[in-house]
Amino acid sequence: MKSLPCPSFPRQHLLFAGILLTVVLLFVACKGEEQSNTVYRIGYMNCNTESETIARFGPLTAYLSEKTGLKFEMVTVNTEDFEERFNQGEFAFSHTNSLLYVILKERSGLKLLASEKRGQFGARSAGTIIARKDSGITTLADLKGKRLVFGPFMAPTGFVAQYDLLLRAGIDPEKDLAYYAVPPGSYKHEKVLYGLLYGQYDAAAAPALDLEVMTREGKIAADDFVVLAQSAIIPYCTFGVGSDVDAKVVAKVRKALAELTPASTAEFDGERVKVLKAAWVDGFEELLDSDFDPLREMAKRAKMPPYEEY
Amino acid sequence: MLSRGLFDKLLWLALLLLAAALVVVVVRATGSSGPSANKVLDKAMERAMTYQSRVALIRELYGPVEVLLQAGQDQSALLKLAEIEKTYPGEAHGQMLKGSIQARLGAIDEAVASYATGVKLRGDYVDKENPLSWRVEIGRIVETGLQTVSARLATNPDNRTAKATMKQLYYLQSRLAGGCE
Repeated sequence: MKSLPCPSFPRQHLLFAGILLTVVLLFVACKGEEQSNTVYRIGYMNCNTESETIARFGPLTAYLSEKTGLKFEMVTVNTEDFEERFNQGEFAFSHTNSLLYVILKERSGLKLLASEKRGQFGARSAGTIIARKDSGITTLADLKGKRLVFGPFMAPTGFVAQYDLLLRAGIDPEKDLAYYAVPPGSYKHEKVLYGLLYGQYDAAAAPALDLEVMTREGKIAADDFVVLAQSAIIPYCTFGVGSDVDAKVVAKVRKALAELTPASTAEFDGERVKVLKAAWVDGFEELLDSDFDPLREMAKRAKMPPYEEY
Repeated sequence: MLSRGLFDKLLWLALLLLAAALVVVVVRATGSSGPSANKVLDKAMERAMTYQSRVALIRELYGPVEVLLQAGQDQSALLKLAEIEKTYPGEAHGQMLKGSIQARLGAIDEAVASYATGVKLRGDYVDKENPLSWRVEIGRIVETGLQTVSARLATNPDNRTAKATMKQLYYLQSRLAGGCE
């Protein structure tokens, strides 16, 4: 019986195909290795001190690594340096107050990831202007010629909302007050309330959340102050992500944040800690970018970044 | 066969036994009716007194909050509620007041959660006849909430907060319709 002839390929072609396959295989393997080795950095805005930021958000960062299987590192950042360091590519994820989110969104294309929930308004809070109950000050008009203390300059519910409230009430903070001050150093929000309580100022710009927390903690009493005005509720602290981060990674992080419960734990500094409790957060919510529009309007009226005019 | 005299004696005995039994039953029945009725009355009285004292306590406890609300001081009222909540964390009335303020200030998810917590703690807040009824306010938030939250879910179906709020709205709706827990 006559055998069938084998299909004959030139030996060079076979060798070439083999090399090509090897190269493709190596490329795919290296790509996978590279992705698993990528370290994603999260820039956390310092509220008070670096050590406080680490204690609050270290467990959350560890949780994200555990939950997503990706590697996350935290970077602590001062408010005034945040935009520059983000633009330099020091970190791809951001955790900031809502005004910084708006600034980075408008100027650097930051995307909204999830917003923190804390207190009676969930993922939002309001700015209030308060005076001591025994001061005789009952309306915003009474503030003309008085001493007022604001929170930090970039604080949405400690500065921007109140500045806007004053402007809309016909009071120009730059001209109509005796003076206004911003407390130096850290723990500005507490300094604002104690400065008012102990008579250093006649009125104060206080976030509604601070009033709530300090009342619950027994540091102040509801009867100590009178609320002269209160802004609309606006988003609170927010996670954002750079526009160049892989969509799958973003989805994983968003899901991990949404799934956090008070019982969720992570390994941090040699112990297993409750993530939300450590971060002083009740949970996370997915807001829409349009939910930040009321804040944008306030910032525009107050000529605050990213809408500043000189 | 029984003699006629023996038959008569047995008949008399049976009649006597029947009469005695009747007396016992009548005595027991008349003797027990007083205390039993009193017991029922006592319980009703106890319930009424408990309820009246609860209403009085609530009016006293939350009086300052009501004063602040009438003066339009929503935020101060919320702070007062936070103070009261430290002493009475499980009190439903505080949840209802908080819910109404949150709704007025635009925090709909949180308002719905407060109302649902309040109704779970004390179901009579949906009762029309109750002097502490919150039925109208709950009905209002269910109506507006179902519209706004379902619109949010339509644009973002995976939003967990909106889903949780929707669940609580359905719970409140069912309680308004007379459904059980």
